[in-house]
Amino acid sequence: MNIRLLLKDYRVWCLSLALLAMLALFAFPTRKQDGAVYNLTFVVDITRSMNAEDYRINDQPVSRLAFVKHSLRELVGQLPCQSKVGLGVFTERRSTLLFEPIEVCSGYAELANSIEHLDWRMAWAADSRIAGGLLNAMQLLLDRESALVFVTDGQEAPPLNSRYRTDFSALKGKLKGLIIGAGGLQAVAIPKFDQNGKRIGVYGPDDVPHRSSFGESDLNPEKIEGYDARNAPFGKHAAVGTEHLSALQEGYLQQLAAETGLAYSRLQTADEFATTIQNPEFGQVFELNRDTRAFYALLALSLLLLTLV
Amino acid sequence: MNGLAFDTPWALAGLLLALLPLWRSGMQTATYPWLAMLPPDPLSQAVALTIRLLAMTAIVALVLGLSGMHLREQSVERIGHGAHIVMLLDRSSSMDNSFAGKAPSGSDDGRDAGGRATQGAVAEQSKAEAARRLLTEFVDHRDHDLIGIAEYSTSPLFVMPLTENRQAIHAAIAATATPALAYTNISKGLAMALSFFDRQPVQGSRIVLLVSDGAAAIDPDSEAALRILFKQQQVRLYWLFLRTDNSPGIFAQPDDPRDDNAQAMPELYLHRFFGGLHIPYQAYEAENPGAMRKAINDIDRLEQLPLHYREAIPKQDLSGLCYGWTGVLMALLLGVKLCEARMV
Repeated sequence: MNIRLLLKDYRVWCLSLALLAMLALFAFPTRKQDGAVYNLTFVVDITRSMNAEDYRINDQPVSRLAFVKHSLRELVGQLPCQSKVGLGVFTERRSTLLFEPIEVCSGYAELANSIEHLDWRMAWAADSRIAGGLLNAMQLLLDRESALVFVTDGQEAPPLNSRYRTDFSALKGKLKGLIIGAGGLQAVAIPKFDQNGKRIGVYGPDDVPHRSSFGESDLNPEKIEGYDARNAPFGKHAAVGTEHLSALQEGYLQQLAAETGLAYSRLQTADEFATTIQNPEFGQVFELNRDTRAFYALLALSLLLLTLV
Repeated sequence: MNGLAFDTPWALAGLLLALLPLWRSGMQTATYPWLAMLPPDPLSQAVALTIRLLAMTAIVALVLGLSGMHLREQSVERIGHGAHIVMLLDRSSSMDNSFAGKAPSGSDDGRDAGGRATQGAVAEQSKAEAARRLLTEFVDHRDHDLIGIAEYSTSPLFVMPLTENRQAIHAAIAATATPALAYTNISKGLAMALSFFDRQPVQGSRIVLLVSDGAAAIDPDSEAALRILFKQQQVRLYWLFLRTDNSPGIFAQPDDPRDDNAQAMPELYLHRFFGGLHIPYQAYEAENPGAMRKAINDIDRLEQLPLHYREAIPKQDLSGLCYGWTGVLMALLLGVKLCEARMV
């Protein structure tokens, strides 16, 4: 065998290199790479204003809650493995955790099923004190690794008396997370259901209080018509308003975000939601082993094909 | 084969490349004046064919590896002992109190709330905490069970569907550490717990394990509905009643006939209702964590009916195998190449 002739044959070179590539494949099958994993706890507003229908899925009008559930499911499917998702609900002035964060890949079926079962009928009381619920959720998650995602439409019911505002100063900036505003900016009617869950129209102006009548009035007494310090601190006339309609209170939520040190974002599409949540700020850097075999295999394949030319 | 799957099926289009060796052999060619003059040589033809086949197989193996061939996760049916259990947990605010009906002191400084020494008695735990610890142990014990979790206070909370994912069940039980909610509305809770079995095949035993520290009167409408549901779902009911000191238990008989109604003695009446359902039903009254442990162990022992369960065999990656074969085939090809006759 003539070595010189052998070295002249490019096919020998190609085959040897292809074999080398295969050896490299076995030697270095994976490469370390930094990726982000997330540990998130979603607290979803299940008060009745979340039943207002101002989202659409496939051109069908759906309620805010249904759209939130849809977006959550999509997101859980997209999160990288080893991310964890926990779920909680908010109503009245409290939040509660249904379960602590569980791994998304092994627990996808359970997560999807639990998200599917979120329902406004889980609410154990009927008020909607967003600020109180947010404060409570932050307290629950304090000293945990999980970032908070608080999903709400921002409609306080009954309306807030600005004299009694929730004080977030003790918790400000101690928690990572964001507030997600759900709903449209256009006020829409809130569906009303009877005891058996059957829909019976919508809330009318006479069904809800239109102003806070709790505690001391936050208005200047001289400006209140029919003011009486003892008998009518909020005036003698019934309040009129549009509290029976509901729209996303974006300004209010942005203000809450500023007070709590959380970020704010509006829920518009499921894709956008998934991108917003997968913000490196809320994730932890994690060393992943990336499969690099395909790279060497492609190299070997090209070299092998070259010998056939 | 059953269960064979690919991560990137489109990469299989590369299999077409395996036809290339039929067209080009990759061997050196030499010009020869008249091919027909060559004598037929079966050995050479066989060798040439083998070389082409080698190249084809190498390409096929490589492409299969690239497309991420794997065996899908499969499950084998086995028979073991276990049950489908739905835990229905009381989240009413009284669960945050201790068995003595007090708010737990939290720290154990050897003194009770009045500052008197308790002679080394351990700090009292809340009923919810005791329940949480014991249920966690129980779950760890029961290897083949499907376990689901529902909670209730004023309204029912769907927490975790029937699942074998232990991590998820633990996460759900651990979350009951958050402060409890409002009042007790047991009928809605029961209805939700029963709904867990809706689309589940009837096999093994189906159990609802109700853990509560109080009861509430059930209105007649819900009572009728529950009767039907319990019958339909063929469940066995265990009621673990965490009795607070000085409260009437589920077995207490009224001293005064005027108290003999559901409003005054909801526990007794709920117990009677369960007893009248004509389903296997067992109530345990526990006044302290020790009695609770006994009840849980009892259930653990009783519920060992044969159960078909599916054991998962995890996904098996076959691309490594493909690459291995590619390596061997390429080494063979290179060997053949080195043996090739050289012509100037």
